[in-house]
Amino acid sequence: MTTKKKSKQSSRKRSTRAAILVATNLRRPAKDRVTAFAEAPLAVCESDQNLQAVLAVVRDQKELVEVRMAAMDSLAAAAFSAIAFAPCRNDYIATLREVATDPNPQIRETALGTLAGEKDGFVQKKLLEGLKNPAKALVPPEKALQLLSYDVHAESYSVARDIVQNPPNPAARQEALRLLAADAASAPFFEKVLRDKDEMRENRQIAASALRALNPDKFQKHAREMLLDKSEFEDIQATSLTALGQFGDNEAVAKDTALLKSVDRLSDKAKSAKYKRSAKQFLGKYRH
Amino acid sequence: MKVELQINNSTSAGARYVGWAPSPCRIRVTDPSGTIARTVDVTLSNVSAATGGVVIFRKGSTGRFSSTLTLTVPTNGKTVPFFVAGSKASINDRDVTIEARAKPSGPIIVPIKGILVGSIKVMVRIRKNAEALTSGERDRFVSAFATLNDQGAGRFADFRSMHTFVSQPQAHGAPGFLPWHRAYLLDLERELQAIDRSVALPYWRFDAAAPNLFTQDFIGTSGPNGAVQFSNTNPLQFWVTDGVQGITRSPRNNWNPATQPGPTVITEAQTLALGANYAAFVGMEGNPHGTAHTRWDGFIRSIDTAAKDPLFFLLHCNVDRLWAKWQRQNARFDSTVAASFTGDPNNPIGHNLNDTMWPWNGVTGGSRPPTAPGGSLASSPCVTAPGAQPQVKSMLDYHGAVDATAREGFDYDDVKFV
Repeated sequence: MTTKKKSKQSSRKRSTRAAILVATNLRRPAKDRVTAFAEAPLAVCESDQNLQAVLAVVRDQKELVEVRMAAMDSLAAAAFSAIAFAPCRNDYIATLREVATDPNPQIRETALGTLAGEKDGFVQKKLLEGLKNPAKALVPPEKALQLLSYDVHAESYSVARDIVQNPPNPAARQEALRLLAADAASAPFFEKVLRDKDEMRENRQIAASALRALNPDKFQKHAREMLLDKSEFEDIQATSLTALGQFGDNEAVAKDTALLKSVDRLSDKAKSAKYKRSAKQFLGKYRH
Repeated sequence: MKVELQINNSTSAGARYVGWAPSPCRIRVTDPSGTIARTVDVTLSNVSAATGGVVIFRKGSTGRFSSTLTLTVPTNGKTVPFFVAGSKASINDRDVTIEARAKPSGPIIVPIKGILVGSIKVMVRIRKNAEALTSGERDRFVSAFATLNDQGAGRFADFRSMHTFVSQPQAHGAPGFLPWHRAYLLDLERELQAIDRSVALPYWRFDAAAPNLFTQDFIGTSGPNGAVQFSNTNPLQFWVTDGVQGITRSPRNNWNPATQPGPTVITEAQTLALGANYAAFVGMEGNPHGTAHTRWDGFIRSIDTAAKDPLFFLLHCNVDRLWAKWQRQNARFDSTVAASFTGDPNNPIGHNLNDTMWPWNGVTGGSRPPTAPGGSLASSPCVTAPGAQPQVKSMLDYHGAVDATAREGFDYDDVKFV
């Protein structure tokens, strides 16, 4: 190796090591430390010393939360470099499990989110426990349901069904609906939600998508009826129209003069210019 | 008299798409009636609306391009080659018309412009900044993407399965990171183009605010619990992956991606200054790439779930654009030039220039993943490269700067051919 090459390499090593030293130094201002963590995420892969120093910051409850979060972001960025990060992985996952019960909710949620993405059985168990017994909950029920949806199991469906019937808050009901969207047994329930004008519109939007996936024929029938219904909300009609235009039975739609007439009405009289445009595009597709 | 124009040396309508790189074309007389001469001079020119794309011409594989080109074409049907390149991107499908006008020899009075003997509509199809898309371009893109997903039942499921924890060593943490993702994006883009030929992948500049991208009509906005919200007219509201509806994505630490660049993500200028050797430049896998991923909570934050979010593909399109820009800046298209890649014999399989890439090579087991979803890389009616089972090295010369036949049929709005 030439002297020039050696010097270039050592100066690069100095720079990433220097970044780690700043990032993990309690005496440095938080802003500098956050920047240093982002500067060289792959520095943790260069030595076990670097890795352990960063993991120590994540675990340290006396550290500032913004610095701990920056350390977690830096590790998450490094984790994308799978081959280089492989030797760090076990310690990383163990640290995330440790801080999954941290007193700080942001740290907890970040750790739980990353582990849920990894389909981590330990986290799934904790999340289900929290949904069944709120005193043990690590995150709000809506977040727990969302994280469980990364890897849906039969047990999650059963908990989600209970929450839909008896929701602790509207957001939890919405997440439970989203989780159930792949549950074939829930199709009749989604029909009800879709057609219930007293339901939250976001829930009806979720129900439309769920029913379209679970039972396309049933959805097409309901979408048609909702478009013909002059008392139906325009946004729900727009969702129906988008679904029919995107995924519908083209032959059936093209022959359906009553449906096309009602879309004509929407293209002319909808209050929103966007819905008018959408209706016109729909007609353009089916009326050549 | 009539002539036929063959774009990308093809009569197929699907081949009438060009980028900044020169497309080989041909012209021939298909109906010689009205002339007895053995040859006819035909002038090619570009006709398009002010908002449409623009193409330029040249006769051979080298030399300057010009706005018109006169070719002497035999009337016996034999083809004459020429080249077309885009000089301004289109906004609509085939919004450029190439006109061919002939001036027959002899004392015949003809209009100054010549007689129209043929014309063809083409598109200058270019990957653009998502911020700059017209509403039509945006709507066509999200519609094609939603069709590819088909509520979890479509071909997108293969793309989702290609980028997981199991497959990560094929694509990350080693020099093949950039070539693998280039092939991955190209495969996806070709599938989108099979649905709507006018679509090109847009990119998200993560070092800039993106007010047009982070809207409910485009890639969605983050709700209070991190569930992405779409407008009632956006077909991405029907997005399903792994049997689960919707997308989870929320910006961390009060960041607003519509009004602020990604915090701590290094800028384009800083990325391009990482070094003139590939070994230094590929360090961008950490920052900006990894950092752009981890500005978020939700699917896009982790390797195993990132590809469940359509934004992932716009993020990686920008990563690829940065590589393309770096290649142009440093002349790093040639795989035989050491600085264009890291040719370390210790590179893992899939990360060496001559290695084929998983999953397109279909190889499973051993040091490759147990399954190879998706089959071979989608073909294109416009170009033949990089082939069904690309090697790492075939992804470097993407617009044929070294070898014209290596052109892969995509270009970026701010990375010109010359």
